[in-house]
Amino acid sequence: MKLVASIALALASLASAVTPGETAALQKFLGDFCTKCHGPDKQKGDIRLDGLTGDVEKEGERWGVVLDQIRDGEMPPKKEKQPDAAQRNAVVTWISMQMGGHAQRRPNQGNLVPHELLFGRPAGAVAPPAPRLWRLSPDAYLGFVSDVQKGRVPGVVQPFTANPERGIKDYAKLAVIDEPSVEVLARNAAAIVEAQCAHEIVDGKVRGKNDARREFVELMDPAATPTRAQLEKAVQLQFRVALARGAEADEVARLLAFYDKCAKAGGGPGAVKTMLSAVLLRADAMFRQELGDPARQQLTPRETAAAISLALGNNREQKISEAAEKGALTTREQVAGHVRRILDDPKFKKPRVLGFFREYFGYPNAPEVFKDKPKDLMHEPQQAVNDTERLILFILEKDRDVLRELLTTPLAFVNVTTKQNKQTRLDEVVRAITPNAQNNKGQSPLETLYGLEEWTAEQPVTLAKDTRLGILMQPSWLIAWSGNFDNDIVRRARFIRERLLGGTVPDLPIGVAAQVPDDRHRTLRDRMQLTRAEACWKCHQRMDDLGLPFENFDHYGRLRSAELVEDAGATAANVDKKGKPLGPVERPAKLDTTGLIAASGDARLDGPVRDPRELVL
Amino acid sequence: MNTIRITRRHALQGITLGAGATLLGPILTQLAAHAAGAPSAVRQRFVFVVQSNGINPNHLLLPGMAPRRNNELPKNEVVEETRLAGQELAAPIAALAPFKDRLTIIQGLSGRSAEGGTGGHSTNHGALGCYPGSQGPMAQTIDCALGEASPGIIPNVGLGILSRLENTLNYQISASAPGKALPLQCSPEQAFKNLFASVTGGASRHDFDNRTNLLDFMADDVRRSRGALVGEERAKLDQYLAAFETLHARQGKIERIQPALSAAMPKLDAKFQKPTEVNRLEAQFETGTAALIAGLTNVLTIASGGGGQQYLSWPDLGIPIDGHENGHGKGVEGKTAEECFIIVRQYHCKLIAALATRLQSIREGGGTMLDNTLIVYLSDSGEGHHPRLREWPVILLGGLAGKLKPGGRYLQMPPYLAKKHRTLSNLYLTLLQAAGKARDKFGHPDLGLRDVDQSGIISELLA
Repeated sequence: MKLVASIALALASLASAVTPGETAALQKFLGDFCTKCHGPDKQKGDIRLDGLTGDVEKEGERWGVVLDQIRDGEMPPKKEKQPDAAQRNAVVTWISMQMGGHAQRRPNQGNLVPHELLFGRPAGAVAPPAPRLWRLSPDAYLGFVSDVQKGRVPGVVQPFTANPERGIKDYAKLAVIDEPSVEVLARNAAAIVEAQCAHEIVDGKVRGKNDARREFVELMDPAATPTRAQLEKAVQLQFRVALARGAEADEVARLLAFYDKCAKAGGGPGAVKTMLSAVLLRADAMFRQELGDPARQQLTPRETAAAISLALGNNREQKISEAAEKGALTTREQVAGHVRRILDDPKFKKPRVLGFFREYFGYPNAPEVFKDKPKDLMHEPQQAVNDTERLILFILEKDRDVLRELLTTPLAFVNVTTKQNKQTRLDEVVRAITPNAQNNKGQSPLETLYGLEEWTAEQPVTLAKDTRLGILMQPSWLIAWSGNFDNDIVRRARFIRERLLGGTVPDLPIGVAAQVPDDRHRTLRDRMQLTRAEACWKCHQRMDDLGLPFENFDHYGRLRSAELVEDAGATAANVDKKGKPLGPVERPAKLDTTGLIAASGDARLDGPVRDPRELVL
Repeated sequence: MNTIRITRRHALQGITLGAGATLLGPILTQLAAHAAGAPSAVRQRFVFVVQSNGINPNHLLLPGMAPRRNNELPKNEVVEETRLAGQELAAPIAALAPFKDRLTIIQGLSGRSAEGGTGGHSTNHGALGCYPGSQGPMAQTIDCALGEASPGIIPNVGLGILSRLENTLNYQISASAPGKALPLQCSPEQAFKNLFASVTGGASRHDFDNRTNLLDFMADDVRRSRGALVGEERAKLDQYLAAFETLHARQGKIERIQPALSAAMPKLDAKFQKPTEVNRLEAQFETGTAALIAGLTNVLTIASGGGGQQYLSWPDLGIPIDGHENGHGKGVEGKTAEECFIIVRQYHCKLIAALATRLQSIREGGGTMLDNTLIVYLSDSGEGHHPRLREWPVILLGGLAGKLKPGGRYLQMPPYLAKKHRTLSNLYLTLLQAAGKARDKFGHPDLGLRDVDQSGIISELLA
């Protein structure tokens, strides 16, 4: 227990330097459980762990291995002496902390963070939250541009890359601004200012164009030197549109001095534009700040306004920002009032409400999975996504048992969009995609995917029993978690293990050929049998059985009762008169939709399942 | 799992490596050194020409070689070398004939680790990165790795064209680091301004000076904002700051090579403004060539379409249909699909030949710039519109200061799965070794090639 105590102490103080006591405790742990096989005598798997001091900066790779293996219970091997839960937890927590919370940096691996670390902070005085910076998300950057300048701004391109991994995209720790991004940001700033200052000179007079700002346009006369008052007014305006606040006196003074420096080099209007660009590149414009008010241990009103705006939408919400500036955003009631108002305001776009569900379920990826268009079905993945989003909003609106409803509802929106009736001027639910006799010849319309004979305006539709339940059986989800030619059993299963059961799956070991044999004569379930080999099954047992029930659907998201495989005999016989092969012939193979929930951590959940519906119910 | 701790020190180290900012003196010093024949001063340059829609291996065959049918692969067990001297180049690449002695045509490399790109078409970053094309920029691509190995003032200049004019950046070909796509500038006018503003005079010159001032001011501005922060959050601002500092320092270096820039600057003529593909691509080749000659960069990537399903149509060449339709067998204006492909290939070879001619006209050290510049011509979708990637034809033109064997050769690598088969990774490892930055492996291994050495170089290429 010395180890646990020593590490608890380190956690309590949130210390990151390794103390001699910790080193000794860790070395004892390694000595007790690891170095018999990974020490001076044997180095199984070429891994040697004796002599580790705890300096993860230098020994990071080996500590990473220890972390994965201990956390997942892979080591020590079952037949060897085992650390108890407290010891295991303490070591995992300690390594995670020492690695700079590396797992915490990766939002999609949140499950890897020990619960101890997430929820088990020692009670006592609560330290104020550390200041935090959120670089604008790619969408919020475009929102920033539209806040600064209305209308189209030619030449602005996206400077930021979203987290390319599937899953959580907007995560403070992931987002930095590096040199290529600054290159783009600087170019964008120039383009935005160009639009703000758009003008023409007619008869020697400067006239603004499009949505140009009057205060800036009047500084564009190459023949006139701007006055200090004009420049100051321009700076104040730029601060307000870019940062939702006025500029402080020292900020104005610095920018005016900067203007003078640029103007000296020639090109008056150019100097004004450069000065205005500088405001758009400020760190507090590109990073949403949560420095906090140390006296009150909460965000400042200004920070609160920005946080709420960007939690719901991509733009800054005007009224809450104004309230912050006027000192009317200091109480819980004031904040709550604004949140309610924003939620009820149809004019303020709130794409982030769906943002969580998009990132969590991953269904919006459906259009990215390229597939050949089937001959007998309209394949419209984007519409499938739209229908799913409508269902999610419908469930959110009801606001009862949301997660349960999302996973088990028999309701679905089918091929729906909203259109304004020209006569009544009211929004109506209409059929989104109507088959076209020429393009969709022989293809059954979208609604047949859901088992409907005909499209109906009565939406949502209650789907037939034993067909689909919840998001995981929506075509969008099934397509998003499929491959180009087949279902993706492993990734679907991994989704369920990690996102729904809160479990972990180790990453694919380096050098492992994770390829399903491309043999069209066998069912996918049959081809997946290769993961049952001992070396693979160690990890795949956490996954495959959770994904197999979804074989109830094909990779276009169609419910099926059999899987079509190539019939070798019939294909060989399928030749023309000259013996030239005429192509593969398929036969229906028996469908098996059974699966298994195991090691969920809740005995009530564990056990075999007949099909995907039983899996989610 | 590795620790990632970004400190200012690390960030700056990264930048020194990445931009190689301080390693090169002004171009005039360089030229003086060249004139004195100092071999160490000779820089190695790389040009990657990436063309969308595949390069059909049949386009590169020599007379008498049997064309490939039905994806059949040759059956040689060892590398087969054929001299190009005395041979005629196939019609699609005939424009490269004046450089026959500088050419190495490589057939039979594979690149299946890059599978899984967009819809079975482009392998995206996989073509230059040798990793699954569906995963975004998983790691540094070879052009950026060589940009580090042979750093110029701007480590990598990336140019390109896309079919839609409003898409001014192509983020799907190059990557400077994991998760970090490097954009290729697809607006010729913008590319020109980015590279030559300091010497264009007038408004552009003022723009250049204002940019220099702005970068300096912003560095100071960000420096002031760091006060309230510690640890990781401060490191974020440090990185933001370092970016401004690096770009500011770069302005100074560009300033110092002004004579060379002025001399090399292309003429900003009508083709820079015209929207057709032919005009835009020619403008980009001119700008890229000038950037090499002026000493702005040592690594140039030019992508003609490429990445995703970004195909082009070529109305000026009599092919007003999209490359995707062409790839699916559609011809136009009396030409078959294959004839269209050949016309587009011939056009690209003409541009490459023009680039090589220009480099050959400039003396450097004891030879010409072409002796120290290797042009690598390939497609981001291997050997076809829907590539199998068991073959990935590549043409090399030029030299690397004597580090590569002389050209004039047609190399047929042993086919996929043969014991001595080689992959695109092996080619890139060879280039890295020639550039003095040898590595053990590049990209992801092809897991279907367990018996093939995917970690080594291609000895037939190195001198």
